Amino acid sequence: MADKKKMSVADMLAAARKTDSEGDSAPAKDAAEEVASTPPADAKPAAKSSPAKSVPKPGSPGRPSVADMLAAARAGKSADAGSVEKAPAKKAAPKAKPAAKAEKKTSKPATTPERDTASILAAARKPERSGPMSKAEAAAKTAVPTAARAKPAIVAPPMPVKPDYAKPKKARAKAAPIEERRTMMKVGFWAVGIVTAVWGGAVTAFMFPNVLRELPSKFKVGPPDAFPPGQVQTKFKAQYGVWVVNTEYRGKQELFALKSVCTHLGCTPSWLEAEQKFKCPCHGSGFYIDGINFEGPAPRPLERCAISVASDGQVEIDKNITYQEEMGQWSDPTCFISV
Amino acid sequence: MTHGLTDAQFIDKVASFLWPYYIVLALMNGVAALYLWRTGQMKTWFSLPVPGSGKSVPISNVVAWVVAAVGFVLLAAFAGNSNVSWMPSMPLSWQEAINQASGPVMYSLGTTVGLIVLFIFRRFFVTPAIAWTIWNLMLLFLGLSMTDRDFFEIIAKPDNVPIVMLVLLLSFFTWLATYRAVINDDRMDRGEPPLEKLDNEKVLVWPDLVYTELICMIALTAFLIFWAIALPAPLEEPASSVKTPNPSKAPWYFLGLQEMLVYFDPWMAGIVLPVTVVIGLMAIPYLDFNREGNGYYTIKQRKFSYIVFQFGFLEMWITLIVLGTLLRGPNWNFFGPYEQWDAHKVEALANVNLSEWFWRDLLGKSLPTAPAGSNLPTQIGFIGLREWLGIALVLGYFIALPPIMALTVFRRYYQKMGFIRFMLMANLLLLMASLPIKMVLRWVVQLKYLIAIPEFFLNF
Repeated sequence: MADKKKMSVADMLAAARKTDSEGDSAPAKDAAEEVASTPPADAKPAAKSSPAKSVPKPGSPGRPSVADMLAAARAGKSADAGSVEKAPAKKAAPKAKPAAKAEKKTSKPATTPERDTASILAAARKPERSGPMSKAEAAAKTAVPTAARAKPAIVAPPMPVKPDYAKPKKARAKAAPIEERRTMMKVGFWAVGIVTAVWGGAVTAFMFPNVLRELPSKFKVGPPDAFPPGQVQTKFKAQYGVWVVNTEYRGKQELFALKSVCTHLGCTPSWLEAEQKFKCPCHGSGFYIDGINFEGPAPRPLERCAISVASDGQVEIDKNITYQEEMGQWSDPTCFISV
Repeated sequence: MTHGLTDAQFIDKVASFLWPYYIVLALMNGVAALYLWRTGQMKTWFSLPVPGSGKSVPISNVVAWVVAAVGFVLLAAFAGNSNVSWMPSMPLSWQEAINQASGPVMYSLGTTVGLIVLFIFRRFFVTPAIAWTIWNLMLLFLGLSMTDRDFFEIIAKPDNVPIVMLVLLLSFFTWLATYRAVINDDRMDRGEPPLEKLDNEKVLVWPDLVYTELICMIALTAFLIFWAIALPAPLEEPASSVKTPNPSKAPWYFLGLQEMLVYFDPWMAGIVLPVTVVIGLMAIPYLDFNREGNGYYTIKQRKFSYIVFQFGFLEMWITLIVLGTLLRGPNWNFFGPYEQWDAHKVEALANVNLSEWFWRDLLGKSLPTAPAGSNLPTQIGFIGLREWLGIALVLGYFIALPPIMALTVFRRYYQKMGFIRFMLMANLLLLMASLPIKMVLRWVVQLKYLIAIPEFFLNF
């Protein structure tokens, strides 16, 4: 972390400057050396603090930016390095501040100017350029008057010929006819359309699985006398989801079919013979033998199904039609057989 | 899981788990003693006079935990013996007492009272020595109870293992938070900054946080893989639309909701209340006007928020999950932890709606029913007449209570929050309180619904 002895940005820049200036021309040396000698002095405290602090403050003496150095080097022949150094320092440093938050950003201007000094100078020679400019440009701009006077002979080297890939598209792709793109588009849309259609079809087919989803809703369960009084016939529960009950309801002996779906949340209750009640295993709802709810959270009685004696004398149950007690539908004669 | 095992085989099976379990507990206490000794946190609690010699032996925390470790080693030796008569287990009379105490009323009242006691005397309970004792007792209780077949059946079911972990982990983290909160409250009373402010050096996301997360991720994945191999998920018979397992339990994290469904209409407990819980949690930042307590543990500075949260989380969520997991058996009946799951257990649960009680039992009349074939407004009128008492009660609860609260106990809150925010908070609070109220009403007076309009699927 922060306490590790790493080279701070300031150290690295200082080192880079030192090697640069040693290989430089003699007149530039004075200025460069002056620059290079100062950073180590305050680089040490900077190394201890966070990296962000190693950025020079605007106008701080002895800590010129790289741009300053370059400017100073350029102006070196015309002497008076000190005055050149001070002037751009004030201009360039404030610009450096926002960029100085990360290490990479501070190190960037250190490398770029070396690459295209010539172009910078060329650009600087132009009267005015709108838009933002780099640090180097800013430095070069202020440095130009002295530099131009001292070295009028500098001519920008000819730019290399542009490679094919860098040429504007117009010139390059003129051979491709417009029609081909249209065809491409048509093929693409058709492909997408077909895939979507196939997918849609598959999804639709998925909605209709190849199984019989519903139990037969209308079925016969045998003659009425197969259901003795007081008995709950549970053998149709697994196949059809009903209990056939023969019991007394409101003073009348009735044969009816109860749907085996709890009216609370739809679990399947089980008939407890010993307790004479239907009991739901999910939340404990309980129903009497006649389907009336009495314990647990079920808010209403079990539902009855339509029941009748068919022409062949068998009891026929139709699960499609249900009767709810709370709606007063249990008095409907199609939901029970009087015995 | 233990079906078809004789008692001796069952004890063998339990013993093969129990003796390593007790060894781990002994190691845990030994390490604690070693840690206290090496870090110089040895404290002499009292001096035990040696009879005859006139000298006394200082009993320090280190000595106590070493003694506990030795005790667990002895238990491990007895358990590993696999002799039924030597097996350390919960005395039968205790089992009976615990079964008796696990009724719905005792359970819910007991947990509430327990939490209140823990809260009021938190300064005592967070003391490391006390907390460590409770921790040991919890684990000892678990070990001693394991030898009971019914208890083992519930606890060792792979579905329920997370609940045991949940209880232990929650106890630990609740202790940790409360411990730090108590320390911080003391410090702030003395005018010192909270502990968290002392060590607030910022660290970097990369690498500090990311590394920690990576290590946690790998460790948890390894743990889950180990768990999945050691305790495979139980597979049941193929699903059938007409056959529901008995009892039919939701995944453990939904058992609180399932318990709620026992007391409310499915619309209410399945949709309205859960959505309100989410909305209420989202509303907290807008309702909370207390600017204190950011970034450090404290109870004193956020008493109201703390109590509401702990009640809502520990009482209304965790204890209901524990209840649903451990105490609900076949037909969704209550069973004590040492009680046989008997599918034919008879419980008198005949519930009545408030309207039935009012018209039938109090006035001795039959329920007002619309004449057959009457039109909709007439029907609605009769329903309103039938349910007027419940409707009045519920409306009074939600409309009349908030102003009363604003004028009395929550006067300061009302002044600080303003009308809308206060009403929102009051109604959320009342809705939260409606669950325990309904639970108590169900258990004590067998009340089913205050408003029962099954004709329109409207029950409350």
